[in-house]
Amino acid sequence: MDTKRRTVLRALGAVGVAGLAGCTGTGGSGGSSDTETEGDTTTATPTEGEVTTTSGGDARPPTRDQALYLGHDVETIRGEITSGGVPKDGIPSIDDPQFVAADEATVDPGDPVFGVVRDGEAKAYPQLILVWHEIVNDVLGGDPVAVTYCPLTGTAQGFERGAVEFGTSGDLVNSNLVMYDRGTDSRWPQVTGTAVEGEMEGQSLQEFRVVWTTWEHWQAAYPDTVVLTDETGFSRRYGSDPYGQYNPDRGYYVSDQTIFPALMSDDRNRPKHVVIGTRTSEGALSFGKDALLEQRVLTGSIGETDYVAVADQTLRTGYIYENSGGVTVTPDGDGYRVDGTTYSADRLPLPSQIAFDGMWFAWAGFYPEIPYVE
Amino acid sequence: MSSEVSTEGRTVVDRTLGLLSNTVVAIRGAMSRRDGQGVFLLTATVYLVVYLYGLSHLGTGPWGFDLSVVENPLSRMFRPVGTVQWEPVALLVVGPVELPVAPLNLALGSVLAALVGLNFGVSLVAWRGPKACRLGPGAGAAAGIPGLLSGVVCCGPTILLVVGIQASAGVLTVFQWLLPIAVVALLGTLLWVGTKVQPEAV
Repeated sequence: MDTKRRTVLRALGAVGVAGLAGCTGTGGSGGSSDTETEGDTTTATPTEGEVTTTSGGDARPPTRDQALYLGHDVETIRGEITSGGVPKDGIPSIDDPQFVAADEATVDPGDPVFGVVRDGEAKAYPQLILVWHEIVNDVLGGDPVAVTYCPLTGTAQGFERGAVEFGTSGDLVNSNLVMYDRGTDSRWPQVTGTAVEGEMEGQSLQEFRVVWTTWEHWQAAYPDTVVLTDETGFSRRYGSDPYGQYNPDRGYYVSDQTIFPALMSDDRNRPKHVVIGTRTSEGALSFGKDALLEQRVLTGSIGETDYVAVADQTLRTGYIYENSGGVTVTPDGDGYRVDGTTYSADRLPLPSQIAFDGMWFAWAGFYPEIPYVE
Repeated sequence: MSSEVSTEGRTVVDRTLGLLSNTVVAIRGAMSRRDGQGVFLLTATVYLVVYLYGLSHLGTGPWGFDLSVVENPLSRMFRPVGTVQWEPVALLVVGPVELPVAPLNLALGSVLAALVGLNFGVSLVAWRGPKACRLGPGAGAAAGIPGLLSGVVCCGPTILLVVGIQASAGVLTVFQWLLPIAVVALLGTLLWVGTKVQPEAV
């Protein structure tokens, strides 16, 4: 990432100026099922895009009607939480994110970005910025959301946050970021999306899809996208990554070692092998990302329910759908044919699941004996 | 008997004061010599660079000249972000060099670097001194290592990848003690080196 330089005079002029500004408006809450409905992830009704965020008090993030499946008892996961070596908020979330248009961005074309689209609004969050912050408390399509990233498990996920913000607890479990909400101080391992400690224990957050892709692919798909800038309010070396490097891959991201112990080991894949997985209230399922991009259609099941995964060649990602009806999905040009009609990968007429990339050890650790398809 | 205790107490105090005095003389002597000054500056600078690099507070990036300062730097500079690590409140860019400025870490690193430099400077003079014990500078270098390691303790201490061990509560606890260990070791070796220097030799 080619870090944008700021001018001396402008920067010095900021010395002594008041701190981070808040926003105004309202948040909300609601329920959701296992399936993600395109364009129906709204959980708040803010006024003209302005949102109230709360630190403290009894505000709660919105949760699902049914909790997500956990591969372990809550007590087991809680007992495995370990210090990451930093204090609470030692890795500071971005609470006042700033964006620029795509043509003003200075992101390297091959660098990873985490992309989100809601109500026609596309945003890209460069990995080289989130590696220093892990959580962005943002507003998307008028809804308060948290876009989160854990470098050690390679997972980028989105959560509805209602009227509260999320922060980093400084703790890890299975090498995964343990978030806390600034309303109840409950602890939420990112991958599980389920609180394992605090008054919201056992409840699961409402989620939305975050696409792990590269800047060139995202920009090609969404030329009107905006991009998170390094105007975060913090001084960090945003062109660097303390753990290694993507583009090309190096360091922690290719090493077979993990820094912290995994909850479970599973030698079906190398630890850092990238899989696209999903979890429902019934179980979890994973697909090899490279295999999916190559074969385009893969199928698997959670219990008695069938699922189908399709590749999006434009964004170099995959989508997972519930396919309990057993319909046939076949590649057709850039899209997929279902019941005689061709759809793009992200718009199949099937119940969409929240899916996200992650390192194999992370999925296998949280969800022992998770089905793996390639 | 009380007079014996008093005498022993005075002896300990006298010996301690003598040790400190000898070390101060050794430091003054070493720092008055060009070779001592040179070694001090060189080793202290190298140590500070490595310490800041370990913190990810020094590195290279796109070419530029810039200084940006965060809002409320005076209050935010005390915000802890890790074990003996504090919030950078500015980013200095000089050519390809990027330096996030965390004043407390700069101060701490400078103190450690000065102690390492003094260890090396005094050791060199002691080693070269015809009447002094033949003492290599390795002791001062070894004493500074824990301080360097302490700099890379953060969320996911990647040095553990290099070492090939996994982080555990015990390992992280050890890492938390590295910096105080480094300070004590550096002061200890400095005093020890001081005892090996004959004042008249410097």
